[in-house]
Amino acid sequence: MYYRLAGVYRTSYAGDRAILKIPAERWQVAGLFAAALASPFLVSNLYLTGYLLPWLIWSMAALSLNLLVGWAGQIHLGYAAVMAIGAYSATHMVRAGVPFEAAIVLCGVLSAGIGLVFGFASLRVKGLYLAVSTLAMQYLVDWTINHVPAISGGSQATLQVPSFTVLWIPIDNDFARYYLALFGCAAVAVFLLNVRRTAFGRALAAVREKDYAAAVLGVNTFYFKLMAFWVSSMLGGMAGALLAFCYYRAVTPEQFHLDVSIQLLAMVIVGGLASVIGSFLGAALVFFAPIVLNNGAGALAGGLGLQIGGELRSQIPLILYGGLIAGFLLFEPLGLAKIWDNIRNYFLVWPFRHTRHS
Amino acid sequence: MKRFAGLSALAALLVLGGGNAGAVETKPIKVGAALDFTKVYTFLTAEYSQGQRDYIAYLNGRGGIKGVPVEIEVADTGNEPQRGIEAYERFKNGGAVLMDFLSTPVSRAVVPRALQDGMNVITAFHGRSDAADGTVFPTIFPMSPAYWSQATAIVKYIADKEGGNLKGKKIELVHIDSPFGKEPIPVFQALAEKLGYSFTEVGYPSPGNEQSAQWSQVRRDKPDWVVLWGAGGGQPNSLREALANGISPDKIVSVIWLSETDMGIVGADQAKGVARFEGVAFGKRPLIAAIEAEVVSKGKGAGDPKKVGGSYYNIGVATMALFAEGARIAIEKEGAPLTPAKLKKGLESIKNFTADGLMPAVTITPEDHQGGGQGRIATWDGTEWKPDTGWFAAYQDVVWDLVKKTSAEFKTAGK
Repeated sequence: MYYRLAGVYRTSYAGDRAILKIPAERWQVAGLFAAALASPFLVSNLYLTGYLLPWLIWSMAALSLNLLVGWAGQIHLGYAAVMAIGAYSATHMVRAGVPFEAAIVLCGVLSAGIGLVFGFASLRVKGLYLAVSTLAMQYLVDWTINHVPAISGGSQATLQVPSFTVLWIPIDNDFARYYLALFGCAAVAVFLLNVRRTAFGRALAAVREKDYAAAVLGVNTFYFKLMAFWVSSMLGGMAGALLAFCYYRAVTPEQFHLDVSIQLLAMVIVGGLASVIGSFLGAALVFFAPIVLNNGAGALAGGLGLQIGGELRSQIPLILYGGLIAGFLLFEPLGLAKIWDNIRNYFLVWPFRHTRHS
Repeated sequence: MKRFAGLSALAALLVLGGGNAGAVETKPIKVGAALDFTKVYTFLTAEYSQGQRDYIAYLNGRGGIKGVPVEIEVADTGNEPQRGIEAYERFKNGGAVLMDFLSTPVSRAVVPRALQDGMNVITAFHGRSDAADGTVFPTIFPMSPAYWSQATAIVKYIADKEGGNLKGKKIELVHIDSPFGKEPIPVFQALAEKLGYSFTEVGYPSPGNEQSAQWSQVRRDKPDWVVLWGAGGGQPNSLREALANGISPDKIVSVIWLSETDMGIVGADQAKGVARFEGVAFGKRPLIAAIEAEVVSKGKGAGDPKKVGGSYYNIGVATMALFAEGARIAIEKEGAPLTPAKLKKGLESIKNFTADGLMPAVTITPEDHQGGGQGRIATWDGTEWKPDTGWFAAYQDVVWDLVKKTSAEFKTAGK
């Protein structure tokens, strides 16, 4: 009805290879993108800078991490450190006079280079052991930033992001920052939508499912594991730079602690492994839920006149947030992306039900 | 349809979260306090916020500021910069004239926005020390002795205890290995050159649960005085290790973050004689007694009545008392409604304000947002903190050299 399809009817190879195979979905994405373009004029500044802008950047970071964790099956517990390398190196470069356009590429290369070094661990260890090796990266990078004043910015350990331009346009207001973040996020999303159609994406999937089986099939696992680390770290470094330049506007070590790595991993796992829409949904849940639950608890306590102590009031959202994440994983271990997929599959053939499984 | 139940609940919460409290007829003055109730600053936030809210209730009970009621909105940031920024934007949208974040990472993330928007931010006892320079940070208000001022006061106290001569004495700083812990080191070094004591420092890894290696080094160093520089759970741990390593309690001085709760953890009797820096008086001073009589005893208090008069409770009261004084001056001079720009001028006109003896005389000027940098040293007598000195400020020239140097770096290099 809504999708105007009652099954899968594709009649050409080109149609089968399209990024978005269903016409209605092409319209949905075009509509969403148009809404994203128009939102600076539609929503208030509060929602633009407090919600939409950070959501886009966190989604970009979650997408980059999803390439490694979801597509290639390599866990990473130090992703905030990758972003920190990008943010710090880009900030230092722009402060030194390098144009932003060059700095964002160079900071990606630097993140990729350092990320690759830790990627070598993935050649020997898997799963939990790899998690611990990448955790070492988190601690090493944290320690280095904290103990090298030349990086952290001296006694106050804060670096202000300088004013910068992109293609001669000064990025000095919320609109410009939002569009820059939107461009970055959209570029990474399009890249990842394409990855699954390439030999690179299929090789990553083979490595994820069973690396020695992939090797038997002729996939160079050595090369593709390192490529996954390289590409993901490069995108992650760029996301870190955008986070610093478009959102925080000042870089401090606390912005890239272990908590952030875990939040990013939560975005990917709760959102859905190897799913583009899942990364957006996961980022939304992990980023918005604590804020919304807190504001909700505040409004409830205020509105109903409940005498809840400040301390308890701030613990309740945490309990709910924990329950929410556990609940989503219990009822749908494949993540928010799978919930979305179920809804979509239901409506795809509605009012018929013959492709439903249950 | 079960699947949608969770989603619709989430959507309902979104709607609730988006909508603010209903409009009030007499437009109140709005203050936003986005604090860290759940992660790093938990050791003080609950009491601090209780003090702030009790003071606001007391103020409103007496008719508000020049007849205008004050509304304080409290939120939790979990010490996360992104949640702090969200709260900042939300408060700004709601018409707040002053904000408080009580978290160094969140304050740092908010400073560029606040400076751009001209929004007043309290950074009492946290945040950038060089924000004392009001010419570079026009809307950031520490209004409290910066960590550098605390260090100079501690050295002055030790010098007085040693009869004015520190030559050949050894002071050891035991600090948390973070930017906060390392901040006072240049002050101790500069004063070591001036006064002739030898200075050593040792850092323990954050958050300070394990410090035994560091303390056996302190024992080998045999310092004459030990200065503790940490916050939260690391502090009682430091103190316990110091006592276990045979350091006399009356040779230990701490930065401001050492409270009666920490002393209870260490053992209230064992820790008798330990000194700490104090920026706000401990106990039921006249103002606190008035709050207790008019708010807490009527059951309108924001938290546990036993906490009233505690170290961190009183700091919370002091921040709001300073704000109220600034707001009063602003409304008297320029009239209602209060705006951030008017409040900034009001705060910068505060002269010799003590909040009925709760604080040293605080004078804020457009140049000096620290407010004079006065504090005192108090010692633990087993049940409470007894002031050992009067209110004083020491070596402010050393402090301001550093403030000017780092604020100039911020201005020119953005560091």
